[in-house]
Amino acid sequence: MNKKTTLQKFIGVWNTKTIVGVAIGAALFGVLMNFGSIRIFTNTSLTTAMIVPVIVGGLFGPVPAAVAAGVGNVIADLISGSGFWFDWSIGNAVLGLFIGALPLYGAYIEDGIFEIKHMVIYAILCIVGCAISFGLVTPVFTYLWYGGELTITLYQSVVGSISNIIVLLVIGIPVLKVLASRNSRGQNLKAE
Amino acid sequence: MNNFIINLIPGETFLHKLSGTTKVRLFFVLIVYLIMSFDLRLIVPVLILGIIGLISLKPKLKSVRYIIIFVVVMNLVNILLYYLANPHLGMLYFGHETIWFQFTDHYIVTYEEVWFLLSRFLKMIASFLISLDFILAITPSEFAAGLYSCKVPYKICTIVEMAFRYIPDIARDYQNIKVSMQARGVELDPKKTGLIKRIKQNILILIPLVITSFDRIGNISNAMDLRGFGKGKKRSYYSEHGETPNDRKVKVVYILLGIFVVAYIIGRVFFNVSEVWYPF
Amino acid sequence: MKKPVIEFKDFSFRYKSQTKETLKNINLTIYEGEKVLLLGPSGCGKSTLAHCINGLIPFSYDGEIKGSCKIASLEIVQSSIFQLSSQVGTVLQDSDAQFVGLSVGEDIAYALENDNMPREEMIPRVYESAKMVDMHEFLNHVPYDLSGGQKQRVALAGIMHDDVKILLFDEPLAALDPMMGNDAIDLIDRIYREQKKTVVIIEHRLEDVLYRHVDRVILMQDGQIIADMTPDELLLSHLLKDNGIREPLYITALKNAGCQLQPGHISNVYDIDLEPYRQQLIEDFQQTLPSQPQQQQEVVIEVKDLSFGYNAHQNVLEHVSFDIHKGEKIAIIGKNGAGKSTIAKLLCGILRPTHGQILLKGQDYMQYSIKEIGEMIGYVMQNPNQMIVKDMIKDEVALGLMLHGYSKQEIDENVEEALKMCNLYSMRNWPVSALSYGQKKRVTIASILAMKPDVMILDEPTAGQDYRVYTEIMTFLDQLNKEYGITILFITHDMHLAIEYTDRAIVFSEGTCIGDDSVFKILSNEDIIQRAHLKETSLFTLAKRIGLPCDEFTEHFIEHERMNRHE
Repeated sequence: MNKKTTLQKFIGVWNTKTIVGVAIGAALFGVLMNFGSIRIFTNTSLTTAMIVPVIVGGLFGPVPAAVAAGVGNVIADLISGSGFWFDWSIGNAVLGLFIGALPLYGAYIEDGIFEIKHMVIYAILCIVGCAISFGLVTPVFTYLWYGGELTITLYQSVVGSISNIIVLLVIGIPVLKVLASRNSRGQNLKAE
Repeated sequence: MNNFIINLIPGETFLHKLSGTTKVRLFFVLIVYLIMSFDLRLIVPVLILGIIGLISLKPKLKSVRYIIIFVVVMNLVNILLYYLANPHLGMLYFGHETIWFQFTDHYIVTYEEVWFLLSRFLKMIASFLISLDFILAITPSEFAAGLYSCKVPYKICTIVEMAFRYIPDIARDYQNIKVSMQARGVELDPKKTGLIKRIKQNILILIPLVITSFDRIGNISNAMDLRGFGKGKKRSYYSEHGETPNDRKVKVVYILLGIFVVAYIIGRVFFNVSEVWYPF
Repeated sequence: MKKPVIEFKDFSFRYKSQTKETLKNINLTIYEGEKVLLLGPSGCGKSTLAHCINGLIPFSYDGEIKGSCKIASLEIVQSSIFQLSSQVGTVLQDSDAQFVGLSVGEDIAYALENDNMPREEMIPRVYESAKMVDMHEFLNHVPYDLSGGQKQRVALAGIMHDDVKILLFDEPLAALDPMMGNDAIDLIDRIYREQKKTVVIIEHRLEDVLYRHVDRVILMQDGQIIADMTPDELLLSHLLKDNGIREPLYITALKNAGCQLQPGHISNVYDIDLEPYRQQLIEDFQQTLPSQPQQQQEVVIEVKDLSFGYNAHQNVLEHVSFDIHKGEKIAIIGKNGAGKSTIAKLLCGILRPTHGQILLKGQDYMQYSIKEIGEMIGYVMQNPNQMIVKDMIKDEVALGLMLHGYSKQEIDENVEEALKMCNLYSMRNWPVSALSYGQKKRVTIASILAMKPDVMILDEPTAGQDYRVYTEIMTFLDQLNKEYGITILFITHDMHLAIEYTDRAIVFSEGTCIGDDSVFKILSNEDIIQRAHLKETSLFTLAKRIGLPCDEFTEHFIEHERMNRHE
């Protein structure tokens, strides 16, 4: 393997594979946003879509993850018809940078590497990322663009952050674990 | 795949027949226009245009009715929450308030508050209608071509287009995997299983879905490479027809509107033009 | 003077991730205007060879190249994939993945778009190409409305723009039903003649490709070329059987009868001169082979006058009735959209009938939930990757039992039994990633067997697999049926599978059941063959030409094959 600088890892290699990967990621994001939600109460639900940028990031790097999340959000809006809310798309993209940073700290899902220390870093990044994207970026844009009552906007952001953190941790970690072990090559296999 | 609102094949009405470039540019100008102010004199005309546009597109009533009701109700709830959290938003925006009536000492209703919440509500609804018109009028390929005309690199435009190509396939896989898991005993009915268990069971559906979705990458990127994707710096679009007389007319509109938007924003930043309007 | 267009000289290739060479010392020349079949089992290196011809190696796949490979006089290491793709047009195996546009017109235009050709020039050229493959009336159609065969036509049209010299088809038959497969081979032949191209077809389904003339067959095994000869020469040799390629059925039938094949037009069942073999075939047919008497056991599933529609106006299935007895092996046949998968979904309780009844062991199944039905009827999806969740084989097999809340002890017992039935017990602690496709398929079957269902439904169990994996999967299923009495329903469009491994076929067309009889009877009914998009097997053609009863002749052939398999 040729050594890549951190910056290269951050931006990712934008060849055809990456573009297809991001497009598939965005499509999957759109599908899960519309079908893959877990109902909590009648009006509130968790969406499993957020794990998509994690995986895109794991395969291609944080910037592809951010694009997949941002475009995925726009696409989810397009297919559901609920209108574009770019304040949320930008928030999702920013979150993608954090949760898709796996290769930067050595978690290579494709090669089966996802250990305890990676889990800890991942968990921290999820929480920090959610706090920054939905606690800061999205509310600021919402306030600037659409106005609104700051506490309510913030309150909604906090709910959004928490539900995303739950999905990213409770679903994200087991999925990453399984994907990593599905990708690791079997070593010293003996028939018993 | 008729459950989706967006069309893959262009329709027959005036808006449908505009080029992707026109639609995308007009949409972006209108969205910025709506974002820039709370001035009902500016918002209401676009709101009316949005309604006319929606009617002219002749959408299937069934498919849009639910989403319109949902967005209207959600925004009504939102402004109600705003009021409950702060009955003095009018003061914040207009710098004065006149009491209309009051529920309690805290919950007074001022004319300014009502006016502001109305402005906010109509602004959101107008944004929604413009988006909905755009979604109903455009095809994903035209969207890509339109973005490309706004100098977005075509590799990014391709992502938008391709994502649509594979959404129905992935949606079908999702349904199939879900069904086979249900047959193996996954219970997704909220009445029968608790939240934690349902979250865990969703993992069982996600894993094969993620694996099979990303399995496609190799084949698709080969197919693209073999047909010269990424060959040059520029690319053309089969789905993007040339400028029609109607496109030219709309072009005049969005250019003028664009100039107005720029002027207004400059006015707001440098010359203290107010973003709100209170007629009384 | 023949001009070489593809020239491999002492060519070897090793993928970066692998230690061994995938292609070893290849020497091969293909001349302008030839039509060549590249034959070989999965993993023999034929796809890698194709990647070298179209430039994906070295563009997309890193590795080490030795020797020389020239395509249209371009040395591949010195040219770009874009240069090569203007010489070589490739139709990939997965016509769905190859369809990158959102409509037929757009997909055909894809290469032109990437060339930045102005739209005015593009439109007539797209129309032209579409017309060549008879798709010009579908330019506005979306991929989801097209059949596999139509998608393939679009893919072909999409590579015809540049004046490509070579057309490369990578497993063109893999995703097609029998009739579409014939159409595809016909189309390739027509384009070959009309456009005067060099054609390379990569396939393992020899008989289907030989439906139209090919000049040469190149047989590969373990990364090497082991034969380069005419189809006739190949059929006379032992090379096919030795290398896991299925012989054309009529050839096997002739060999079974003890005929000594003579050279001359034997590669097509319509052209072969049968006079030298007639007597021997008839004599062999008159010998009776020990057949296995079958007795019907109790009914496990009863479908009574069932209709189903997704909405009130239109029924997808209408007035369908049939019984399934314990221990039967049944093929559910029909073209895409005929209602095959709907009936499977109805049986599993995922969909419920809008009219009529399904009885499971005499009980109306409306009283059961999907989960409960899952304990009686197991459903195995086509792609094992869509089913496997866990990383460890044992855990995967235990998953269904755990979800059903079985006790630890029951789980262990059932899992052990299922693993043993599927010959996976020794591998129980292996990660799923270490398994081959066929083994993964067995894991998914084991995970369903662990629930001890009465009936198993398998959706296209062998789709896209070569003869070796196909035989591995099917022999295994045959054993499950014989030794453990598991009732198996196959949803398939593969007639070979139906003929060789099932007793009975239920045929669907346009939402109705148009046939329910022994496979041999079904396949000798021309009306059903037409309506269900099947095709006559070469055994039927052979029998007809000799003047023997088609269904009995086929039955005789199958008995013979079963005997051979048990030896």
